[in-house]
Amino acid sequence: MIERLLAHGYADIRCNLRRKTNIAKLEAISKRFPQANLEYCVGNLKSREDANRAVDGAQLIFHLAAGLRGDAADLFLDSVVASRNLLEAFGDRKPMRIVLVSSFGVYGVAALGRKAMVDEQTALESHPEWRDDYSHSKLRQEQLFWEYQRRNGFELVVLRPGVIYGPGGGHFSSRVGLMIGGRQLYLGGGNLLPLTYVKNCAEAVVTAGIHERAAGQIYNVLDDDPPTCREYLRAYTKHVRKIRSVPLPYFATRLLSRALVGYHRYSKGQLPAVLTPYKVASLWAGNRFDNSKLHSIGWQQMVPTAEALRTSFAAFRAELDTPK
Amino acid sequence: MTLNIAIVGCGKIADSHVAEIRKLSCARLVAICDLEPIIAEQLAVRYAVPKWYTDFDRMLSEQRLDVIHIATPPHSHLSLTQKAVSAGCHVFLEKPLALNAIDGRRLIECVQEAGRKMTINYWPNFETPALALKEFIARGDLGEPVHVESYQGYDLSGRFGQALLSDENHWVHRLPGKLFHNIIDHALSKTAPFVSDEAPEVVARAFRRRPSSHDNTDQLLDELRVMILGSSVSAYITFCSHARPAGQFLRVYGTKNTAQVDFMLRTMLVDQFQTVPTSLGRLLPPFKSSWKSLGQATRNVREFAASRYHFFAGMNRLLSLFYESVLHDTPVPIPYPEILRVSTIMDEIFAQVYPKVLA
Repeated sequence: MIERLLAHGYADIRCNLRRKTNIAKLEAISKRFPQANLEYCVGNLKSREDANRAVDGAQLIFHLAAGLRGDAADLFLDSVVASRNLLEAFGDRKPMRIVLVSSFGVYGVAALGRKAMVDEQTALESHPEWRDDYSHSKLRQEQLFWEYQRRNGFELVVLRPGVIYGPGGGHFSSRVGLMIGGRQLYLGGGNLLPLTYVKNCAEAVVTAGIHERAAGQIYNVLDDDPPTCREYLRAYTKHVRKIRSVPLPYFATRLLSRALVGYHRYSKGQLPAVLTPYKVASLWAGNRFDNSKLHSIGWQQMVPTAEALRTSFAAFRAELDTPK
Repeated sequence: MTLNIAIVGCGKIADSHVAEIRKLSCARLVAICDLEPIIAEQLAVRYAVPKWYTDFDRMLSEQRLDVIHIATPPHSHLSLTQKAVSAGCHVFLEKPLALNAIDGRRLIECVQEAGRKMTINYWPNFETPALALKEFIARGDLGEPVHVESYQGYDLSGRFGQALLSDENHWVHRLPGKLFHNIIDHALSKTAPFVSDEAPEVVARAFRRRPSSHDNTDQLLDELRVMILGSSVSAYITFCSHARPAGQFLRVYGTKNTAQVDFMLRTMLVDQFQTVPTSLGRLLPPFKSSWKSLGQATRNVREFAASRYHFFAGMNRLLSLFYESVLHDTPVPIPYPEILRVSTIMDEIFAQVYPKVLA
């Protein structure tokens, strides 16, 4: 994001970070841009004081922070409470624009049917508690931003990325499958994996964030030529490491999920219902996602998927080879 | 009669409270409360709890409650308990008891003065193998206890460990005993029934083994060794956050036998004697041990088949016993002096390992 903002000519940027140790990476980027004038604000948005310091005097705010793992309470604290503190911090000094990075997880896709196309008009999830805690927290976060936008009148731009990937990121999305006991239950089959390479995603966020017609708009973010889950898994196995995977076709996954829910109820939760028919329909029904609205404001995919996958897999391999 | 239950504090441990309350037919969860509305709301939505609050006093005045589960950080345990018992409620308290033993004593006194009951969530002690050990001792098969070892493994890369290491302002950093304060009473509560002295000698040493993060979280120590010397029984407590697997066991050495409860594997095994002389005699005990282990594994499978092998089965049993004590006015499942002994020893440990903080 910092690199893309600097590349677009923005020089005066305040970066709110949780740890001082992350500053070095940003310094390395800023050295490549002579005009860069980065200011660092170390703090945690869970603290109202830190949130106040982070936004003081800012005109354009990109809110990228979110909880990615942990229990529901952690995710809500890191994503929703932190967002509320940020939005409260403005007080009367409202910024001109806030850009929120949301998620595909906010869409209510379970009832759409297999292979349905999902665009920005698709309805939001009506039963977030039936999905996963991450999607639930991201939906609540986005709702919160719209509530404050209506109340305070600032410009809001929302981007909903698919699976963000790249060096330093996760190796597998749950859209490919679930890791259980060292084996991957491979559920994605021939579904398109809605990937967005981190650099392409950052470019999308900046493009929408600074576009004059983007106020009040929502944009799906995914790359143009995503692989299928099968292609991703094969390439990963070839270039990163061998993993033991057990493929399960969609109908079998549905059956398994019904059995799991039945057992979960019968045993009063002795085993968690990691799969439910609702989750299966939400994640593995092969929905396709539309990024034409993002293209309409001038976004272009900077790194082709083949190259992005090569770079990511090389980084993943190096990560595994590095002694901990 | 069905007890009306409420929970105050909707952080991550509240999930297990909700899940276990819902399994009991004698209780119904009617309300939850958290100072942070977003956190209260998410729990209510996920578990379809009828009512959520951000104001504890308001919840007490609007709801007819029998038991309140206090699952907030320990800073607020005393004041919330005082309010709860004043409103006529019994209290199920998440550990640790309080910030220190003085507050802990006041907390229990206020419960007793109000004629209410309380217990604390020392749930591992109510797991099937822990109860089997109690029976083993009650039958006299252990003989007189001589020494106890309680080991508590911990994974700092787990969800809770990461939450507090990534946040300098996490409430655990403000506890007098920091991470130990939030965890060590599980290990100590297992030894409390054995070392019954009012003020045993305590020797504690702690250190930080993980690399520096170059921030305030470095003050948090992650390895603790404690020796407790009672008049007739001694105890070793180990809190270890680097050894793998992060196990939890209690080993009790008696004058007749030595027994070990493995809380992760859910087994209770008795050490085998060499009954045949010479080195040939050493061949037999491992077979006997394996046979006993197989018996335990079979029992666990039977428990699983009967849907009694939940992760928080011990908590469910403890809750059930506590609610029963409320409904039928029978003794509480954990004697108050035992809870206070744990708290007193914790104070002594923290005074030794975090002297500057406490000073």
